[in-house]
Amino acid sequence: MASEPRLSHTAALILQAINAGHVYGFSIMEMTGLPSGTVYPALRRLERDDLIRSQWERQSIADAEQRPPRKYYKITADGRKTLESSRKRYPLLERLIPSEEAKSAV
Amino acid sequence: MMSSPRNLACHAAQRTLLFAASLVVPSSRRADWWREWASELWHIRNETTSLQSFSTEAEAAVFSFCFGSFRDAQCLRREAGTQAALVHSSAWRCVYALALALVFCVLVSRLLPGVRAEQEAAHYALRSGLLLVQSDNQQSTSTPVVTASQYRDWRSTQQRYFDGLAFYTSARQRATVDGLGAYSWQVAQASANIFSLLGLPVQMSDGDTAASGDIPAAVLSYDAWVRDFGADAHVTGRIIYMGARQVRIVGVAPCNSVQLPTHPDLWLLDSSDLTKISGSTRGFLIALLSPLGKYVSSSMDGRMPIGLNGVNDEAWNLIGISLADQDQGIWPIAAFALFLALLALPAVASVSLSESAFSSHRPTFKRRLVRWTFLVASSLLVIGIALFASLIVAYAWTPVYSPTAEFAQLAAGFTFTLLGLRWVILDQRKRCPVCMRHVTHPASVGSASQTFLGWNGTEMMCVGGHTLLHVPSLPTSWFGAQRWLYLDTSWEFLFADPFAP
Repeated sequence: MASEPRLSHTAALILQAINAGHVYGFSIMEMTGLPSGTVYPALRRLERDDLIRSQWERQSIADAEQRPPRKYYKITADGRKTLESSRKRYPLLERLIPSEEAKSAV
Repeated sequence: MMSSPRNLACHAAQRTLLFAASLVVPSSRRADWWREWASELWHIRNETTSLQSFSTEAEAAVFSFCFGSFRDAQCLRREAGTQAALVHSSAWRCVYALALALVFCVLVSRLLPGVRAEQEAAHYALRSGLLLVQSDNQQSTSTPVVTASQYRDWRSTQQRYFDGLAFYTSARQRATVDGLGAYSWQVAQASANIFSLLGLPVQMSDGDTAASGDIPAAVLSYDAWVRDFGADAHVTGRIIYMGARQVRIVGVAPCNSVQLPTHPDLWLLDSSDLTKISGSTRGFLIALLSPLGKYVSSSMDGRMPIGLNGVNDEAWNLIGISLADQDQGIWPIAAFALFLALLALPAVASVSLSESAFSSHRPTFKRRLVRWTFLVASSLLVIGIALFASLIVAYAWTPVYSPTAEFAQLAAGFTFTLLGLRWVILDQRKRCPVCMRHVTHPASVGSASQTFLGWNGTEMMCVGGHTLLHVPSLPTSWFGAQRWLYLDTSWEFLFADPFAP
């Protein structure tokens, strides 16, 4: 029986932040208030479990803005399903970090 | 716009911290990891610090960010370590490592001259039906018993049981070779037909040299050729001085695992010399059985009594010992070492694989087949490694055959095979029957003071969540050997297993 991974509150918070459009490490840190030593290892685990996917920004875009390229994280279909079940488990999750859909609904 | 020196110093220190943390990251992921953290550092500094003014609070926040990189690096290292441990204990990785070890041993053994010589010897088998004729009350085959006059008498009479006879006497002599020095060799004076009778073709034979007449022909033994001539390919034609006498090397005897008595280094093949020696000189007689002789000797277990009447009606009681029975070589020794190791194996390890289980659940037929295949494969590989490793031990310091090398091969082969097979059995016992990985995380269960109330011992689990292994610390009549407890699928969620079969 393949079961969905049960996320800790911190991991669910980070997944919710990515789903809400905070797609790189520093942005997630700012939104969640979690330190880098918590956020980045959690990102590795979420990526290992195929709940998120990472992608490097195109060099041309970064060059145009005269900055180094960033690594962006994107939630996967499995990640969305897991996030749905985590929201039921942690009802305050969506209030802490409202997703884009929730914002537009308001 | 220029940054302040303090900003530059902080930036350098922060990059140094990141660099130090990157050293913890597994090398395969280090470049990507460094790129991400360096990029994030740039962005954080860009957003939190100012180029012109120095802010302790902002720099502290950036330093705090950088210190977090160590935790990230440690997580990656730990994850890689877990994966490596899982892969390391994988059955096929084990087979791969054993196969590599076997290839290494084979390659090293093939580089050793002694091993090459022994393997070459296997190509030159003696003819069947060869007997070394000895006195029937003589135990040792290295003592000459047949006199030259007996040989001459025997050769001159008609034989029903023998198709051919060869004779040689042997003595230690001092020989000098131009440009090489003096040697103390065992020199055999042999009948010219000895090599054709044995069925061993003389190597590097130079017909012109042999026929060139006035200087008698001599054949070097393979051992002497390797030991004293450095396996010189142009050895034929060289002159050897033995006192006032000269002989010319006409070839090299092929390497053969059968060592004739006294192990001659040089064979003088001048039959006219043999006719000149005293009739009482004792030597060794080799006889080739005729088809009738082979038929008669077939029921005699390698020792054929020979009753012989000389020309003067003297009766000689001799015995023919089959030379084929003396054939050793590396393969019979290896087979004997393996046989001894298999005999001794139950003394050092229980050969039971302890298949008992708490439940009636059993792995599928496919899984059981994989398990047995792994056991057979690892056993064969270990036996192969033991064989070639024993050859390396035996012939590392000796370029030619020697009884010491033979003994060393037998002793090392036995030891390596025994220890290797013991390891195979113990390794197999610790492998999960479902996924064939090692069970881990040993935990002590029960109390020794309550042995008769409940089991106590060690419990180990499969990292894939398939089984638990219970090993009693004190075998009892009701719990004598280790047992497997198969876990059902409801346990799966507890085990993150990226290598599940």
